[in-house]
Amino acid sequence: MQLSLQKLVTERAQPRLGTLVSIRVEEMADVEAHHAIDAAFEEIATVHRLMSFHDAASDVSRLNRSCEQPVAVHPYTFEVLDAALKFAASSDGCFDISVGAELVEWGLLPRPADAARAPDGSWRDIELLNDGRVMFHRPLRIDLGGIAKGYAVDRATERLRTFGALQTVVNAGGDIRVQGRAEPIRLSAETATETMPVLELTDGSVASSSGHLLRRWINGEVRGPHVHGARRSAAPTDRFVCVTAERCMVADALTKVVMAEGAESGGVLREFGASGYLYDPKVGWRWL
Amino acid sequence: MKARLVFVPLAGAVIAGGPAYATVYLSVEQAQALIFPGATFTPDNRTLTDEQAKAIEHASGVAVRNKQLKAWRVSTGGWFLVDEVVGKHEYIPFAVGLDEKGAVKDIEILEYREAYGGQIRDPEWRKQFAGKGPDTKLQLGKNIRNISGATLSSKHITDGVERLLATYAVVLAKAGH
Repeated sequence: MQLSLQKLVTERAQPRLGTLVSIRVEEMADVEAHHAIDAAFEEIATVHRLMSFHDAASDVSRLNRSCEQPVAVHPYTFEVLDAALKFAASSDGCFDISVGAELVEWGLLPRPADAARAPDGSWRDIELLNDGRVMFHRPLRIDLGGIAKGYAVDRATERLRTFGALQTVVNAGGDIRVQGRAEPIRLSAETATETMPVLELTDGSVASSSGHLLRRWINGEVRGPHVHGARRSAAPTDRFVCVTAERCMVADALTKVVMAEGAESGGVLREFGASGYLYDPKVGWRWL
Repeated sequence: MKARLVFVPLAGAVIAGGPAYATVYLSVEQAQALIFPGATFTPDNRTLTDEQAKAIEHASGVAVRNKQLKAWRVSTGGWFLVDEVVGKHEYIPFAVGLDEKGAVKDIEILEYREAYGGQIRDPEWRKQFAGKGPDTKLQLGKNIRNISGATLSSKHITDGVERLLATYAVVLAKAGH
């Protein structure tokens, strides 16, 4: 194997969350490292099972079929919804998990077969009840695609830690959390220069987004995969955005805000202890 | 948390050409031991006939590009298969463990190789860096193994797994154990 000769490195990758997820553990005997990695992949599978938009049995799909009735969800789902509502409140609805409705209309998500009726609400119609259940006050189509991947990375990292793995990298398709070391991470911004942007990250998380990679023609205009929650319109497609934060869920969610709001999103980032880099072909790199 | 953005000269890495990002995760033997702990493995490779390939394509909706099937019978029941998918910018060999009923037990990626995004393979784009110096070491003391911002879909891997499940049904299930 072409692994580092000096240090013990155990790294594996599996197709999960619709992308490739890799988990690396260093400074640990490989048998124990593999046990830890097994458990971390299990954790990711659990998050996927609970929060998949495509799976009719997931918490997300059960919620999307509900209206004006309390729905029992797994504590993980509750935690993500709670965080999502905080991001929505702080960004004035720019981050809004109910944009699943638009993503379905634009053909970016499949239309669920059994949704109760047409969705017409926003994040404000989601109520988290004290008993851990969740109530939608209007028909909604939530999609946790903008936050669950980061959350899964956090859960996996925490699971690794319970096995005593303290030097780890979990990477879910570019949503990355690093523990215990400085890790160089290439940012795949399409900058027409001779240099490559590399983030050196220690004990933290990064998530990035670029509109252009997924943009496509929809209803006669070019749209990226990101929706501005409050305006219900597509975010600009020529930006590259990267957000760093302690937790990967925060980094993941806030990339959507920076993508939509650009340089104005610095306040929201600081509120959650995050910072970011924004690349705009007209302006170049900016630190937020 | 500490984060620092640095700009690394790209020229040398581009001139070197070839895959710029490669990670070996597991050897075949390691993947076997992880998916079927304690088992022994008997190679049972097959060459698909045209009819079999057609039946697999029909059942899975995925093209069969390689008619050589790398398969192992597992002493504790089931099959261990190694295959690969080739994407636009990447090459991914992977292993699948099937239980005795032909259901997926586990999938492990063995290796991942890619170029620095699409434009790097484009000779016109590369030309602009010709003769710009040999800095391949990226000044960071190690190769960069992680990328953020590239939307990496696992669609072609799941397609590859679908194809192997159809291959099992058409070719291996009848062979019994």
